Amino acid sequence: MVTKLAEKQQSSPSTGGKSATKWIMTLLSSSIGQKFVMGITGLLLCGFLVVHLAGNLLVYVGADAYNGYADKLHSMMLLPVAETGLFLLLFAHMALAFKLTRDNERARHISYQEPQSKIEEKPSVFSQTPMGNTSGWMFLSGSIILGFLVWHMIDMKLQLNPTVDYDGKKPYGIIVDVLGSYISAPIYIVGTIVLGFHLSHGFSSAFQSLGLNHPKYTPLIKKLAIIFALVIAVGFVSLPLWGFFIR
Amino acid sequence: MSETLDLTLKVWRQPGPDASGRYVEYKLTEISTHMSFLEMLDVLNEQLNEKGEEMVAFDHDCREGICGMCSLMINGQAHGPDSGTTTCQLHMRRFKNGDTIVVEPWRARAFPVLRDLVVDRSAFDRIIQEGGFISANTGSAPDANSVPIPAPVQETAMDAAACIGCGACVAACKNASAMLFVSAKVSHLSTLPQGKPERDSRVQSMVAQMDLEGFGNCTNTEECQAACPAEISVSNIARLNREFLRAQLCSKE
Ligand code: HEM
Ligand code: SF4
Ligand code: FES
Repeated sequence: MVTKLAEKQQSSPSTGGKSATKWIMTLLSSSIGQKFVMGITGLLLCGFLVVHLAGNLLVYVGADAYNGYADKLHSMMLLPVAETGLFLLLFAHMALAFKLTRDNERARHISYQEPQSKIEEKPSVFSQTPMGNTSGWMFLSGSIILGFLVWHMIDMKLQLNPTVDYDGKKPYGIIVDVLGSYISAPIYIVGTIVLGFHLSHGFSSAFQSLGLNHPKYTPLIKKLAIIFALVIAVGFVSLPLWGFFIR
Repeated sequence: MSETLDLTLKVWRQPGPDASGRYVEYKLTEISTHMSFLEMLDVLNEQLNEKGEEMVAFDHDCREGICGMCSLMINGQAHGPDSGTTTCQLHMRRFKNGDTIVVEPWRARAFPVLRDLVVDRSAFDRIIQEGGFISANTGSAPDANSVPIPAPVQETAMDAAACIGCGACVAACKNASAMLFVSAKVSHLSTLPQGKPERDSRVQSMVAQMDLEGFGNCTNTEECQAACPAEISVSNIARLNREFLRAQLCSKE
């Protein structure tokens, strides 16, 4: 059956996806397609966070365990590939964050005198911030995370932290110095707490963006998001606190 | 409890689409708590008319919560403080003597102000024109029960069909996103057998038009659901996302 709508589609150049590139462009240029990418990249980054946290919690086991983990990791052939992938994920996530946020500011070009929420039951105290609902400041929290990540790269990849002596040290020695650095410790503490807030909305939001919403599991995902955010934030925050303490 | 209210209104006045607007203060006395919000505005307009001033333009039609014409941001809330209620069904007993009430139009680039509190919501009409209908010729009415529709499906479709197209979801969203509206229409039509033949093309066309009109992107703040007088659920937005992905991945074209 050829319906009016289907006819229209076939004749319309933007949606008649005969070629694969055109199809992908339609998907990626649409608001919903961009939210898919945002959600998938966000969740994959969450997966990275779990692995990254687990690895770094080894500092509590001891120098040998941590050095062993770090050496194994760095001897992996595919590490550069994985790192590039991770960078691309983050880049896609950020590029879309900027694009969508700019679109959204354009769409609501005038604000109300005093907008008031009509949401009666707030999801949880953890998703409340001094600035209101966490979902309202995803861009700001993301930007703070970005700042933290830049400094993290200066610390660990470029090894340019002026308060750390990198010479001839094993990974454990470097991480202890970095975590105890009076520049890095505050940045790490703030960065990872803000990351927790980002995730308390982001984790469950990603499922909704991917079309996964059902009374069966959505309440569970929302609770899981809070727990996940807490585990990640507490886990990572403990590291600079510990580093500062043993310094 | 006093039966009448003395109020201060701060109303957005804008003579035309391209004119600049401002808030104007009006004092009203002895407003009955039994009045609806729109009747209170009628009183204001009568007084303005008597004084020979321009009356405040605002949209309304049925005044019984079914047509979706009334709008208004009341003290920063779409359709005022009550949930599941349109402005025309909001009553003055919700306010206290001496209150100041700020009344603003819907704010969205896709809903330009025409005059005072009236905005142009034809962007919604254009989205509907792109697929908010069923064009397959279904012949004469089929016998009862010859097209079986399971009760849960029917419930989903009818819950979504409750959308009256008022635009409060756009107004309440910090991104002026129209996702709740579009998701209600797509859910309503695409879950029923009569709407299935055009399921893929419908969602693609309607989303394309939604983007074209300059509505924002959903960030899942769920303010739309809280502001919606028809209590449309954000689970419809997830369905819209699913339908869109399905159409992108599986449709023939
Ligand atoms: C480790 C780093 C990060 C993780 C794990 C992460 C995770 C997430 C997740 C899971 C989402 C939800 C996606 C969705 O709503 O569909 C999200 C959304 C978002 N993220 Fe990130 N993110 C990270 C870094 C960043 C950075 C660096 C920015 C920079 C600007 C950023 C900005 C945003 C924005 C604007 C949103 C959209 C908010 C929304 O749609 O509600 N994120 N993030
Ligand atoms: S979804 Fe609700 S708020 Fe949005 S247009 Fe429909 S009835 Fe109005
Ligand atoms: S005037 Fe018809 S819904 Fe309010």
